[in-house]
Amino acid sequence: MRRTLFILAALAVAGLAAAGSVVSLGLYNVSARAGHLPGVSWVLHTTFRNAVRLRAPAEDEVPDLSDPALIALGAGHYATACAPCHAGPDGSRTATMRAMLPVPPPIREAVAGWQPSHLHWIVENGVKMTGMPGWPAGGRADEVWAVVAYLDAVKRQDAPPLPEVSEQQQSAPPGAAYCATCHGSISAHVPRLDIQQPGYLADTLDDYLTGARASGIMQQAVSMVPPEALPGLAAHFAAGPAATAAAAVGPTAGAALATRGTREVPACTACHGPGAPVAQPEAPALAGQDRAFLAAQLRLWRDGVRRGSDKMSAAARSLSDEEIALLADWYAALPPDGEIEE
Amino acid sequence: MTRTKPLGTIASDASGPALAGHLLAPAAGARRRGFTLVAVALFTAGCEGRQSALAPAGADAEALHLLFTSMLAGAAVLWLGMNGLFYWFSRRSPAAFPEHHARRLILFGGVFAPTLIVGGVLVWGLSLLPDQRAPGEGLRISVTGEQWWWRVEYLPEGDAGPVISANEIRLPAGERTEFLLTADRFIHSFWIPALGGKMDMFPGRETRMSLKPETPGTYRGQCAEFCGASHAWMAFEAVVMPPEDFAAWLEAEAQDARAPQSESARRGLEIFRREGCGACHSIRGTEAVGQVGPDLTHVGARHSIGAGRLGASLDDIALWVAHTGELKPEVQMPAFPHLEPAELQDLARYLKELE
Repeated sequence: MRRTLFILAALAVAGLAAAGSVVSLGLYNVSARAGHLPGVSWVLHTTFRNAVRLRAPAEDEVPDLSDPALIALGAGHYATACAPCHAGPDGSRTATMRAMLPVPPPIREAVAGWQPSHLHWIVENGVKMTGMPGWPAGGRADEVWAVVAYLDAVKRQDAPPLPEVSEQQQSAPPGAAYCATCHGSISAHVPRLDIQQPGYLADTLDDYLTGARASGIMQQAVSMVPPEALPGLAAHFAAGPAATAAAAVGPTAGAALATRGTREVPACTACHGPGAPVAQPEAPALAGQDRAFLAAQLRLWRDGVRRGSDKMSAAARSLSDEEIALLADWYAALPPDGEIEE
Repeated sequence: MTRTKPLGTIASDASGPALAGHLLAPAAGARRRGFTLVAVALFTAGCEGRQSALAPAGADAEALHLLFTSMLAGAAVLWLGMNGLFYWFSRRSPAAFPEHHARRLILFGGVFAPTLIVGGVLVWGLSLLPDQRAPGEGLRISVTGEQWWWRVEYLPEGDAGPVISANEIRLPAGERTEFLLTADRFIHSFWIPALGGKMDMFPGRETRMSLKPETPGTYRGQCAEFCGASHAWMAFEAVVMPPEDFAAWLEAEAQDARAPQSESARRGLEIFRREGCGACHSIRGTEAVGQVGPDLTHVGARHSIGAGRLGASLDDIALWVAHTGELKPEVQMPAFPHLEPAELQDLARYLKELE
């Protein structure tokens, strides 16, 4: 009995010493060229597939993925964030990408065998020890669906071509053509910029740069542009000089809610116009803004994902889904402040 | 009632905490005298002041006060009588008590007398209840308990629409005014101790009470049901006015706000618009039409700011706007600490001119 215990203790010490020397003396070869030992790839990949299936969101959380604007937005993000490793549907990966371990699968291969909810989980969370990153912004699972919509289109062999940046406009500041692949080119989900003041856009870009405002898509986009170019881009995309005018306000439920508010909801127009009496640098103009974008942002404010303004957090706190839809519809249908004056 | 009232009075007066702190921290040798002082201060503080049921200023409070003092006097008589009997039978006449006398004493003193006294007090107390809910003589006032302030709507007789105000209630002396009480999200309780009893306010349900104030003056109302972090700061001023003064005041209160008079107030108006205050507050006659917070159309004429939190001086208003959350924990109104002192003074001047 004593002898057995002694042998077990000796084996344990020897095992610990061996493990310690692998870590401390660098005995394990971490070379990607060396590949995995036989069987290890199968264990890792099977673990990965089962983990995704266990954790993916429920099927009924999947939104309408056939929305062309959502697919286009996903394509825009994919082109800069995903294509460097997975390439486009018709492109090929560079020799360096193909030397990764594991090799990033080409996109057609990567989406095969996964449901949209699975793809959502993979894009939002990334995959540990594969080089696949998680979504850069916390709390923005809503944005991930754009990429999933594009991947779903790839799977259906119905994907639009990835946007290409052509810097032919000499007068525009550097990066403007890249921004314009989404802003002004996609019919929904992407905010209109030409209704905002340059100062507001510059502050917003800065918030994306520092991460104060969370958006996986915009934080990626801002990081693609040299920081010193951002003020110029803000000025390029913004509205002209401030113009305020009272808009024709129809007697709809959305109009009543936006202009008078309720006992729970402040009146939006006091800060956001139309016809806001004094330009408020921190409050964006909303007249003419994209409906889906407005609704998504109001939900983010209400749910506490978007922060940075005590006033706005308090204002959105009590909004119901119906009220958000009413407000987004009403503001989206309004002509922008500046255009009314003409 | 005798206990809670004086404490509430002291805690709610600006000088109260300092006074109480002084009294509660005497030198070690004078501790006993200190406690006596506290007891005397607490007792006498309840007998006067603008938030005391022991200083009634209305018919309902008078009725409650008479009931209370009668019960107190009766209790004193009973207490002295019982102790007298104990003293008599234990010290003066300790001989055994004849059994038939004892039975009779228990029957009368232990059954009949308490039944009669408690029954009488019960009938008296219940008879007061209908008065507390008697219909008013014309004017009705709707009060909604919010977090933590009072939404007030005067509903005059006739077709005139409601006159919307907040955080202060004015009443005509000598007339019975009916209150329609409800609450926004949490249960509150409406209570002006100097004028009458209290009535709970429930979300989604209307309770009623009425008050007939007699003595013109300024009294203090207080939420009497714990309703969250700033429950203790949920108060209001109740101003009882001679009926003709009240009629004139109500007519003025129904008017739109007057335009700013001074240069400072005009700058304040611009700040009010720039900061989007109108999203939550209404100032009738301007584009400020928000309904979330108190109506500010005639805020300059009120006696307090922040629902009884501060006085109504320019400095009080400026302090409130810059430090709402510190003054009133968890209050919905965000603070505006980014405003310069001069801007706060301009804004305060604008609000103060809204008389």
